[in-house]
Amino acid sequence: MHKVLINCLLIFWLLTGCGNDFPVIEDLGSSNYQLTNQIEKEVQFPDFVKGKTVIAGYIFTNCPDICPLTTNNMRLIQERLKKENVKNVQFVSISFDPENDTPEVLKKFAEVRNLDLSNWTFLTGDKPVVDKLMKHVGVVAVPGDSTVFPSGKVTYYYIHTDRIQLIDGEGRIRKNYPGSSINVDEIIEDIKSL
Amino acid sequence: MKIRTVLYLLLFISGIIVAQQNKNQSSKIEIKEAWIRVAAQGANTALFFEVVNNSDKPDTLLAAESELAEVVEVHETFKRENDMMGMRKVNFVVIPPRSTVKFKPRDLHVMLIKLKSDLKVGEKSEATLVFKNAGKLKAGAVVRDMQMMMNK
Ligand SMILES: [Cu+2]
Repeated sequence: MHKVLINCLLIFWLLTGCGNDFPVIEDLGSSNYQLTNQIEKEVQFPDFVKGKTVIAGYIFTNCPDICPLTTNNMRLIQERLKKENVKNVQFVSISFDPENDTPEVLKKFAEVRNLDLSNWTFLTGDKPVVDKLMKHVGVVAVPGDSTVFPSGKVTYYYIHTDRIQLIDGEGRIRKNYPGSSINVDEIIEDIKSL
Repeated sequence: MKIRTVLYLLLFISGIIVAQQNKNQSSKIEIKEAWIRVAAQGANTALFFEVVNNSDKPDTLLAAESELAEVVEVHETFKRENDMMGMRKVNFVVIPPRSTVKFKPRDLHVMLIKLKSDLKVGEKSEATLVFKNAGKLKAGAVVRDMQMMMNK
């Protein structure tokens, strides 16, 4: 009798999603950040994606390795969702290097990769706004190594948080993932059960 | 007269041996699976490959050259606490004897800085890797958006 009860409890616990609890990490819902997308349209983030599950990635385009991996992982997630017919998901890639990442640079970054931008937006903005947003979402980016060009110009490479985030329809961050090495199966399950 | 013939013969044979050794020397280091990550003109990207050292001596990768970018450097990606990632220049990479060193995502790469033109998936190019012992070795590389699953 006891055994049956324990089993019932166990099944109930599993069904209600014991391990799939998504605590609110940060609430962006009552804030708004004025940003610019890759076609130079101004948007209010997270307002413009409210009501949708958001997959947010944080990048800078001078990054040759981690950020392209994060972007490619988002593409893989997008393809999986399409295949599994999961709708109402919006992808957002936000640059923490707005001085270099103009809308045009972001547009080229997406175009050369043949990304499907039907539910994917690239965002940049004024540096103070971007800095404030990064603090809010918990993404750190500090200049590290640099390259000096023959012309004397210097490019800095950021040491940065490697991040993809799951944000719910009310603008609340519910889970953090390592962007460049995310487990695609895991986030697909999370999107479905959020 | 006879001595001179023998000397010529010796010279000829030693020439063959040296040539043979040089040939072996260059095949002691092999570059395999080279690919470049897709990227737009003006941006940066990375070249990845495997270096196989078939010899009993270590060799050292000193530099890389490519027509694709304004600046070419050998780099490595590194991990910090709290999911932080960064990247830095490395001055050389030792390839130990009888071993393979993989230049791969989230690890060692040849950084192509400020691309002269777009690199789209499927395009092909060539890069030169400079080794201390093996000298300059050319590697054909194909542009891809991600690493093939099998060499992950
Ligand atoms: Cu690099």
